[in-house]
Amino acid sequence: MVVKTQSKGLTRVQEIYQDRPHRARELKAGGKKVMGYMCIYPVLEMLTALDMVPYGILGDIKEPITKADSCLPNMVCPFVRSCLDLGLKGKYDFLDGVALAHTCDVIEKTAHIWHIYLDPSYFHFIDVPHTTHKAAQKQFKELLKDFQKSLESFTGKQLTPPVLKKAIQAHNQQRALVRELYDLRKPDPPLISGTETLKVMVALMSLPVNEGINLLKETIAEVKQRKNGPQKKSARLLVWGSIIDNISLFEMIESLDANIVIDDTCVGSRAYFPDVELTEDPLDGLAHRYLVELKCPRTFREAEIGATKKDYLTDLESRFGYLGEYAKDWKANGVILQALRYCDTHGYEVPGIKDYLNHIGLPNIYIEHDYSEAALAPLKTRVQAFLEVIRG
Amino acid sequence: MAPFRSLVEERYQKSIEAAKAGEPTAWCVANYSMGDPILMAMGVQTVYPEQYGAVCAAMGTAQEYLKRSADEGFLDFQCGYARNSLGYAAKMTELGQIPAEAPMGGMAKPKLLLGTGATCDGKFKWFQAMARYLDAPLWVLEVPHPAVGESLKEGVAEHNIRFMVEELREFVSFLERLLNKKMDWDRLSQIINDVIELNRVWRQVIELRKARPGPMHMRDFLVCMNASLFLFGDLKAWTEAYRKVYAEVKYRVDNKICGINTEEKYRLIFAQIPPFHSLKFFDDLAERGWNFVIEGSNYHPPIPADYSQFSDPLERIARFSYQFFTGFHEDAFHDKEYMGYFAYPNLGYARDYQCDGALFHALLTCRPATNQLILVQDRLMKKLKVPTLVVQGDLVDLKLFDPESALRQASAFEETMTHYRKVRKEAGLAW
Repeated sequence: MVVKTQSKGLTRVQEIYQDRPHRARELKAGGKKVMGYMCIYPVLEMLTALDMVPYGILGDIKEPITKADSCLPNMVCPFVRSCLDLGLKGKYDFLDGVALAHTCDVIEKTAHIWHIYLDPSYFHFIDVPHTTHKAAQKQFKELLKDFQKSLESFTGKQLTPPVLKKAIQAHNQQRALVRELYDLRKPDPPLISGTETLKVMVALMSLPVNEGINLLKETIAEVKQRKNGPQKKSARLLVWGSIIDNISLFEMIESLDANIVIDDTCVGSRAYFPDVELTEDPLDGLAHRYLVELKCPRTFREAEIGATKKDYLTDLESRFGYLGEYAKDWKANGVILQALRYCDTHGYEVPGIKDYLNHIGLPNIYIEHDYSEAALAPLKTRVQAFLEVIRG
Repeated sequence: MAPFRSLVEERYQKSIEAAKAGEPTAWCVANYSMGDPILMAMGVQTVYPEQYGAVCAAMGTAQEYLKRSADEGFLDFQCGYARNSLGYAAKMTELGQIPAEAPMGGMAKPKLLLGTGATCDGKFKWFQAMARYLDAPLWVLEVPHPAVGESLKEGVAEHNIRFMVEELREFVSFLERLLNKKMDWDRLSQIINDVIELNRVWRQVIELRKARPGPMHMRDFLVCMNASLFLFGDLKAWTEAYRKVYAEVKYRVDNKICGINTEEKYRLIFAQIPPFHSLKFFDDLAERGWNFVIEGSNYHPPIPADYSQFSDPLERIARFSYQFFTGFHEDAFHDKEYMGYFAYPNLGYARDYQCDGALFHALLTCRPATNQLILVQDRLMKKLKVPTLVVQGDLVDLKLFDPESALRQASAFEETMTHYRKVRKEAGLAW
């Protein structure tokens, strides 16, 4: 589908969602470098500051995985397998390089496989620490300096603090607009659906930050004015868990008596809610935001670092309390915990999160899926039963 | 090899005795000698739920703990060792004591948990989940996993080591607060020297296995490796035990005695984690002349290096552990093989140990040990013309490993290995 550059708002969102690479290919043809990244840990501000287009590598739920089987076993994350599969099939041939990070075991190994089999012109791996200890924050700053040097070498440009600060401000501006978009789901009924919001998030991962900002402004203005938004439904849901980069699951849930009013996933609030503090040395703010503020289960968090006593409820509150806040602020009356099969980082969280949600009295259900549309039919029955519980 | 067999059982007995005497026990994950020397210096007994998972599987109690962990809400695709110990911990907490059926006396309630970010997300996520049952605090060791190219850039190794040292200093400080005692730095320094020497000798044993016929089968290696991977007791005594193993293996080399007590028809590499619950499988293959002369690097000590110039024991620990993950990086970079620590060494092993084939154990519940197997299979064939047989299994769930099915593939694979001997010869490879 051709993306009409005169399209705006949700129409443009839909067009980009259906043909993600289109704008990136246009920009590349115009001389821009397009840098692929996976997950929320590669520091996008550094790419933007060097006038590159950060492009989120995602999978394709509709594309059968074939080529990836020649280098990854099938008992690993199906999303990552799909991403690699698309790479091997040439679907990411417009990328000038990739910046990947140690976000989980599978992505760590897949990063190296990508390097070997796809041999990109630029490859950099950011070995993100696993804790938020002070030493880890210092280390992460050093890793960002390494990343900076490699980007400077690749682009032939210097990444100066003022330029980086400008990029940080732009990305913070985009994040503020995303939060404004998410606020549109606080009313009942929400002004925009979870499905529509997800499309916007996917579109943002396909555009340079300034174009994403404009798209958000258009979309927010349109949504505020329209009369044909979502219907009021019994269930207002928070969805937590593994990456969701396709609307099928959200569409299925919202086809029932439920609106998804807030999420905690990486193509969603997790990636956009925390800002970068503008510090004297911008790398300090970046290191802190990306290592400490991003709340992905791949990072070990505890109520008090180095505490010699452990209290389970205190631990749960420190790790998951923000979900309680989300539920309160968006008036969610139920939580769907979802994870991709074989996602270890999210999988280990499930009993603890359930304990926390049960403790604060929020009905919840865990569903597992394998990044295929075929998996959704049996899940629909389970979600329907869960919604009966919420309806009481 | 005999004294090593008792090491595993002694460890659990010792920790139970220690707990009864009010001394601290730690549940640890395999931490590549990063945390163990520090715990030893602080007088903490260590047990390894990973190892205990293999023990439970071999003794037939794992299924009960797996079922319990499923009842607790843990997922069936997660690490079998993790689910075994989560089920065990749930039952122990419920009973208020070690379960009666727990093999080797069980694991005593820990004073602390030691996780790590090394090699596997489960190694801290699983222990974090343990908070549901145990009120012991968890410390997570940080271990950099730089990519091959990145690690060789100027300044990178230095800041990685600085990071590890700083983290270890915080770990010591944490232990001092927890245990209300000060670190004996001289003792720690001696322990790390002993660790380095122990592993140097052990590595020499592993090097002997390049000989033809292979003098030490993987089964014997697996018995002996515990003293290196899971530090315990008198390290000088274990080093002496390794010297005796060296002498025994050297004798076999000099007298061309084969480690499988029959004719060596095929030399193989095994990766990554064996079915500890079903090791007889390798005996059955040995009867066919399959000699597993080497195994994946996860059980091997790091490539030797000189640490004598570093006076800070924490820096020696950090460099030793870092060497495990990056010691091969220069070679990998030169070969343009950017794969990681569980992958690249297998190429060198297949070449240096002149392997006819590889047997890979794809584990349904262990992604770190399985992620790279297909990649390595591909590289072994493309670069060295060494074929691979992949057998599916699991760490502890006996239902998921079918040795009979694997054995039925042996005959066909023997033909494949024989064929590729010719292919290698034609390609000018040395074996």
